[in-house]
Amino acid sequence: MTQREEFAMDEVTLAPRTPAGPPDGGKYVYCIVRTEAPCEFGAIGMGGEGRRVYTVHHRDLAAVVSDTPIVIYDPTRENVLAHEFVNETVMREHTVIPMSFGTVFRSEEDVTELLRSTYQAFSDVLDKMRDKIEFGLKVLWDREQVIATLERTNEEIGRLKEEIENNAQSSTYFARVQLGRLVESALEEAGNAFVSDVHESLRPVAVASRSSKPIGDRMIMNAAFLVERSASERFDEKVRELSHRHEGLLTFKYTGPWPPYNFVNIKLKLERAD
Amino acid sequence: MGLLAKLLTFPVSGPVAGIRWSLEMVERTAREELTDDTAIKQELMELQLALESGEIDDAEYRSREADLMLRLRDVRYWREQFGLGLSGGPVRVQRDEDEH
Repeated sequence: MTQREEFAMDEVTLAPRTPAGPPDGGKYVYCIVRTEAPCEFGAIGMGGEGRRVYTVHHRDLAAVVSDTPIVIYDPTRENVLAHEFVNETVMREHTVIPMSFGTVFRSEEDVTELLRSTYQAFSDVLDKMRDKIEFGLKVLWDREQVIATLERTNEEIGRLKEEIENNAQSSTYFARVQLGRLVESALEEAGNAFVSDVHESLRPVAVASRSSKPIGDRMIMNAAFLVERSASERFDEKVRELSHRHEGLLTFKYTGPWPPYNFVNIKLKLERAD
Repeated sequence: MGLLAKLLTFPVSGPVAGIRWSLEMVERTAREELTDDTAIKQELMELQLALESGEIDDAEYRSREADLMLRLRDVRYWREQFGLGLSGGPVRVQRDEDEH
């Protein structure tokens, strides 16, 4: 499940696109929770004006919403952070099923209809995700440092390198090509070894993990881990251990706790309502 | 008759079919390019990473982000034109035909 509004700056102004509709009759939906009691989460809603975040109910399920004009929210950093901030706030006290960024319903009735028609799937997933949270872990490497380490620890690479340095003017072309190939394959091996070390260290403290495509060329791992709330401190410790063990070579970008964005995939039967 | 017609029209139908086929290819490629936002989303993630690691400052982030947002809106526009699925924006629960 994934992801949009107003964004103004010096040169470029993106005005929100507003399909015709009542000015504030829409409901922006952040997540689904299980509660029969109406909840208030404060004036932290989307749109930059601090709209009130509250619940819309059907039986024991509730959608966490704020009022919104019928607009398409751009997935700007600002907007995505606002969406996530609400979910973070709600998940302090509830197990949540996060909604895709930018989901806007035209009316409260439409939100109730969502809860009614998807009741069983939401209930099942809420049971499964009970007391579980997600952590994000991106691992970046310092390629130069890893190569320097390889030159020290990999005999063949070290020997070839020395040979090339000692025969500066003789034909070292093939030696260089060979060295390049050796380094490439040793790098790939080292990358895989880092990634499996991380996975193996975290497996005992996580319920599940999901890998995504790394972003950019320095990233060797981009994963999400589902963790029992009660095990989150142990998970924390393990990540710190890992980061210590690979200091200088790897950088860990550790985020969370998140709602289980990467572990919930309910296909909602939604259609456009312009 | 069928074969004769084919033979007689062959010099014509051959090239025409070829042109039609290549036009369809061009159209399909163009449509895929116009309606695919994966590259833009990948760029957006890289941009966020650059901001978080301090490679770029907030002002640069914002101007490049605004550019990507415009490109996402273009993709959205074309997806609407071609009747493809959209994420975000006003939605409602799909109504089954027989409920009407």
